[in-house]
Amino acid sequence: MPLEFTRSEPLTFGVELELMVLNTHDYNLTRGAADLLPRLAKLKLPGEVKPEITESMIEINSPVNRRYDEMLAQLVTVRDAIVKHGDRLNLAVAGGGSHPFHRWHERRIYPTERFKRVSSLYGYLAKQFTVFGQHIHVGVENGDDAVYLTHRLAPYIPHFIALSASSPFYQGEDTSFETSRLHAISAFPLSGHMPDVGTWEEFNVFFDEMLDYGIVGSMKDFYWDIRPKPEYGTIEIRICDTPLTVERAAQLAAYAQTLVSWLLRERRTEPVAPLYRVYGYNRFQATRFGFLATVIDPYTRTQTRLREDIIGALERIAPAAEVLGTTEALRALERVAEDMANDSLWLRQQYQETRSLNDVVRLQSELWRA
Amino acid sequence: MNLSFLPSPPFELSYPLLFGALLVAGMLGGELARVARLPRILGYVLVGFLIGPLVQAAHLRPLIEEARIFVDLALGLVLFDLGRRLDVRWMRRDWTLPVTGLAESLLSFFAVFGVLVALDFRPVQAGLAAALAMTASPAVLLLVVHDTRAEGQVTERALNLVALNGLLASILTTIMLGSAHYEARMEMETAVLHPLYLFLGSLALGGTMALLARFIARTVEKDREVHFSLIAGLVVAAVGLASLLKLPVILALLAFGLFARNDQRGYDLLNVNLAPVGRLLYIVLFVITGASLPLGLLAESLGVALAIVGARAVGKAAGVFAVAPLGGLRVQQSGGLALALMPMSSLPLLMLHDIVRVFPQFGQALTAAFLSAVVLMEIAGPLAVQYGLRIAGESLPQLDATFVGIRPFKARA
Repeated sequence: MPLEFTRSEPLTFGVELELMVLNTHDYNLTRGAADLLPRLAKLKLPGEVKPEITESMIEINSPVNRRYDEMLAQLVTVRDAIVKHGDRLNLAVAGGGSHPFHRWHERRIYPTERFKRVSSLYGYLAKQFTVFGQHIHVGVENGDDAVYLTHRLAPYIPHFIALSASSPFYQGEDTSFETSRLHAISAFPLSGHMPDVGTWEEFNVFFDEMLDYGIVGSMKDFYWDIRPKPEYGTIEIRICDTPLTVERAAQLAAYAQTLVSWLLRERRTEPVAPLYRVYGYNRFQATRFGFLATVIDPYTRTQTRLREDIIGALERIAPAAEVLGTTEALRALERVAEDMANDSLWLRQQYQETRSLNDVVRLQSELWRA
Repeated sequence: MNLSFLPSPPFELSYPLLFGALLVAGMLGGELARVARLPRILGYVLVGFLIGPLVQAAHLRPLIEEARIFVDLALGLVLFDLGRRLDVRWMRRDWTLPVTGLAESLLSFFAVFGVLVALDFRPVQAGLAAALAMTASPAVLLLVVHDTRAEGQVTERALNLVALNGLLASILTTIMLGSAHYEARMEMETAVLHPLYLFLGSLALGGTMALLARFIARTVEKDREVHFSLIAGLVVAAVGLASLLKLPVILALLAFGLFARNDQRGYDLLNVNLAPVGRLLYIVLFVITGASLPLGLLAESLGVALAIVGARAVGKAAGVFAVAPLGGLRVQQSGGLALALMPMSSLPLLMLHDIVRVFPQFGQALTAAFLSAVVLMEIAGPLAVQYGLRIAGESLPQLDATFVGIRPFKARA
């Protein structure tokens, strides 16, 4: 039985944000999801707040939106509700791609069936997977567009990495990477990117084969950086660290929406294979060096500094931004690129000042409150 | 041949030997308890119960008394830790937390007071005993929390409530000590001044130590091990200072912890984990507590002891169930919270010593009954906490599902 691709309104978009739940005495992760979520469930919030794989993690799902400003307003509403109810329980909440000093073995798996299965399959990887990402969904009309966009967004993956990076610290150390979160993901056997298929039909052939091998049970078992999401009718960009503020999260979503709009108009036809020959290199460069990374364009065979690559792209898609109402968001991201001032830089600065990762997390949670 | 280099009787037990022996014996007891899936503390206390008669037979009683120094150090550490957990800001944000504390403290006070008066004890005595019975044991709670790696609302709330009822109890007993003085026909000045000195002096000592800690912390490197030595050193010194100044160790260290807590006043002090050094002292603490509890009294005063324990439990449970659900706690969580407050603190032992010293009329009968109640709860208490944290879903499950390997997907036929 082929996977049906649900049609959805093109360029509608939504985000999922994974957040850390912290205690307020040493700002370590703590099990609080089971107490926080029932309280939030009683409120009328835009979207949903859900459990994630460990009990010290919650996830915000925004509703489906057309406009950036509406999404931002919704995220602010949900954030404020989480902050208020967290306060009553003496729990703090924060963004950031990884917790700077938690020990993975102390984490507990949230007891739902799927999470129990994931944890029994992956063992310690499941607990080490206590990292926090932002997923961006953009609606597309059909499976073929989803396949096209999944490939064509690949060169922009380094952009999303550098702009969202917020996990320089991991297990108590400065990793020297802009984002350490992506390492936790690379350990999974089905991480990486979609294979070089051209249409939704070809994708279905590949998917059936994987199903027959018994390697996957559903689309959820692929941990790719970008993947089609047939049941929602979207493509899903999963590369971003959860930023430290909802404002940055909304800006990144706006960037994705605008890029998709631009790519759908451009209809690129260059061969796909070269994109993936440079993919791993570019991705690594961005995780390690951020805006100072060197990225390779496989078609022109030129090397560019990521900072300039991002600014160039933002300027290229500016007309599409005018139409969608995302100009303000893209300007904000352009300033981030120009100053090379992402959240990882902010976190490192806080550490410089306080010399204590506990204090860094405390400041991180204060920044999240806004 | 001159053999004077060999040791000859009478032999003297030294502190290192005593400490080491109690530590190893306690540890073994704890591990035995753990194998039986019981709280480790129970093992420590039972070893103490066994050691008690031995000590008596070997005429070593004074040495155990002198080992009070270890007990004071352990308690100092416990109370400092507890003070750091007392979160006034949280209490302002969630009114149900302090009100739960007030309710369970007052209800258990009046329940015990009522029962004792009904049993024909004099009101002043009954009042003192009831105030002592208000406290729950921070040491038992902290240790069980640590052993079961419990985390969550019930754990956090229980720690705050224990700090709160400890504070209330020490204020109340100090006041009652005043009236006891008065009844003992001391001059009015002593009756007022002594409690006042105990109370304000402790706060001042705690505050001064916290200031000192912050001052030193700012001048040294912000490093975990450096701050650990700093805090451990100051805690020990504060215990010594408190007894030098004839101040209650309990209140002084609680105040030190509270003032050293990181909040708006600054974040100079790292929140170091004192558990590694704490564990050693706690083991010895519980073994000594077990050894110094007069088990013989149990037979003669079991009735009154059960009455105290029962009234106290009813009062605490009623207080928790009356208020905690208003703060959104589920039934199992409220139950877990009530159970976590069950262990009786061995702090009353110390207070009792002090009280009996200045006020011998406290009464043989009541002292015996109270000590018997402590004996009972020394066994039932840790079990109650362990069970409570389990039904609240906060202790780490024994067998984590994580490493049970199963094949995830069946290939389709």
